Amino acid sequence: MIPVQHFLLLGALLFSLGVYGVLSRRNAVLIILSVELMLQAVNINLVAFAVYLAPDEFVGLIFALFVIAVAAAEVGLALAIALRLFRNRTTANVDEVDSLRW
Amino acid sequence: MRWDWSLLAPEYLLAGWAALMALLGLWGRLRAYWLGYVAAAGALASAATSLIWLGDRTAFGDLLAVDHYTTFFRVTFGLIAASVCLISAGYVERFLRHHGEYYAILVVSVIGATYMAAAQELLSAYIALELLSFSLYVLASYAKMDLRSNEGGLKYMLLGAFSSALFLYGLGLIYAVTKTTHYQGIAEALAGDLGGTKGLALLGLSLIVVGLGFKVSAVPFHMWAPDAYEGAPLPVTAFISAISKAAGFALFLKLMVQAFLPLHDDWSPLLASLATVTMLLGNLVAVHQRNIKRLLAYSSIGQVGYLLAGIAALSPETANAASAVLLHLAGYVISNLAAFACVTVYYNWTGKEDIYEYRGLAERAPFVALALSISLFSLAGMPLFAGFVTKFVLFQAIAEADLLWLAAVAVFASFVSLYYYLMVMRQMYLVEPETRERLGVAWPEYGLVAVLVVAIFVVGLGPQPLFNAAQEAASLVYQGAATFAALSP
Repeated sequence: MIPVQHFLLLGALLFSLGVYGVLSRRNAVLIILSVELMLQAVNINLVAFAVYLAPDEFVGLIFALFVIAVAAAEVGLALAIALRLFRNRTTANVDEVDSLRW
Repeated sequence: MRWDWSLLAPEYLLAGWAALMALLGLWGRLRAYWLGYVAAAGALASAATSLIWLGDRTAFGDLLAVDHYTTFFRVTFGLIAASVCLISAGYVERFLRHHGEYYAILVVSVIGATYMAAAQELLSAYIALELLSFSLYVLASYAKMDLRSNEGGLKYMLLGAFSSALFLYGLGLIYAVTKTTHYQGIAEALAGDLGGTKGLALLGLSLIVVGLGFKVSAVPFHMWAPDAYEGAPLPVTAFISAISKAAGFALFLKLMVQAFLPLHDDWSPLLASLATVTMLLGNLVAVHQRNIKRLLAYSSIGQVGYLLAGIAALSPETANAASAVLLHLAGYVISNLAAFACVTVYYNWTGKEDIYEYRGLAERAPFVALALSISLFSLAGMPLFAGFVTKFVLFQAIAEADLLWLAAVAVFASFVSLYYYLMVMRQMYLVEPETRERLGVAWPEYGLVAVLVVAIFVVGLGPQPLFNAAQEAASLVYQGAATFAALSP
């Protein structure tokens, strides 16, 4: 059996990639995509923990199912809002959207 | 396991009401104005229903608790939603489209907020948090054709999604360390010997604090707040500033007390430093603001700083700080809603939201100017007003928790806040108006403003009932924590 550390490492890598994407990408759609990466990293973690650490319970698996559902809703919502912006401004680049400044 | 469905009656009522609002919006025969009153009636009815189930019971196998703490927040959220619906009535009819859905989403978000306070378990807390956040994202970008609303909504959404991913990763780590998602189980596991996993638990805890910090807009995770506040339609700004803070702190407080109290010595300094920068930066940056919505955004960031200081002052021994946080939360919500109600009334008349546009308001609409001054004084924490009592109790609790320096910072920040509130009042009372023409009278909004102003004075002069309610709610949270304190060595 593959040791649990491998899954956790994969999760941590994926999560870091997601964080890097959110911080470095300037296109709204790509930022949303990066957030999805982060959520999938969480899912890998949760499922790994559930299978390796508490094999008799389903809490981790149920948690992961809920996260999948929430992530789907999140993408729908985020894309709708980004689309609105794109229609009004013809750009999805968050750097060019700067009418609100302190 | 007993499934007592009746415990969740207020939420069923809200869900039904949301469907009703969407249908009424489709019907189209009812004036958009009245939709606001219908929605407000639903929110009030749910607050009233929650008082019937005063008690201490859990539902759905310990996932949700229906106790004084939940009731305290059910009533708070119900009243917030009702006030915001009334504030919205005129504004939404004039400036927005799709009125029915607007109120439906607003009502649904209250369900999320309530479950954040009621949750006893991480998964339920997360789902509730997302239900509230998603509703707020939609509401913030509700003015579809307005570029500023699009932009504010998109920033709010992107940073919100990012922060919930961080929060979720933290939840996963805590689950890995403690092998449970129930608050009590987590506390029991953390009180025991953690061995090599303590670092993992602390990492998870910090990620959770960062995620919640984003939600309540604590510095340095506050970047979305001023933009979302300025871009969102005015009543929505009022709603976000009240309910996202109240619900965020409801979850934060319960989580810290019931689940993470064993790690108190580790998170208390972290939160104290977060609170310090939040208080200082929020209030100092507010001084430079020209737009009233941004000013109130930064002032609410400052208020979040005081509340965070209260959370940092939580101690395993007494529930003083917890009840002080609840009390100040209630005081802040009332004062802030009153301020936003006045700002909305003025916007409905003139479409202006810059501070210099308020010049001479005292001559043109004396009632609005007076009410706005009262609510700003209350936010600043002047005596007589609600803000003074609640801040006094909160700062006292902070000082008693051996964080005297933090209380000193809070008092300093309050003085700074008084300066920029006074600048708004200076515009209204001392600067000559552009024209002397009187503005009209908006009776329904005036009624709401009057009620809120009276509430400010009631809390300011006779805070005992509210104080008792807060204490009862807070002690209940601690009861759960006390059982594990007996267990731990």
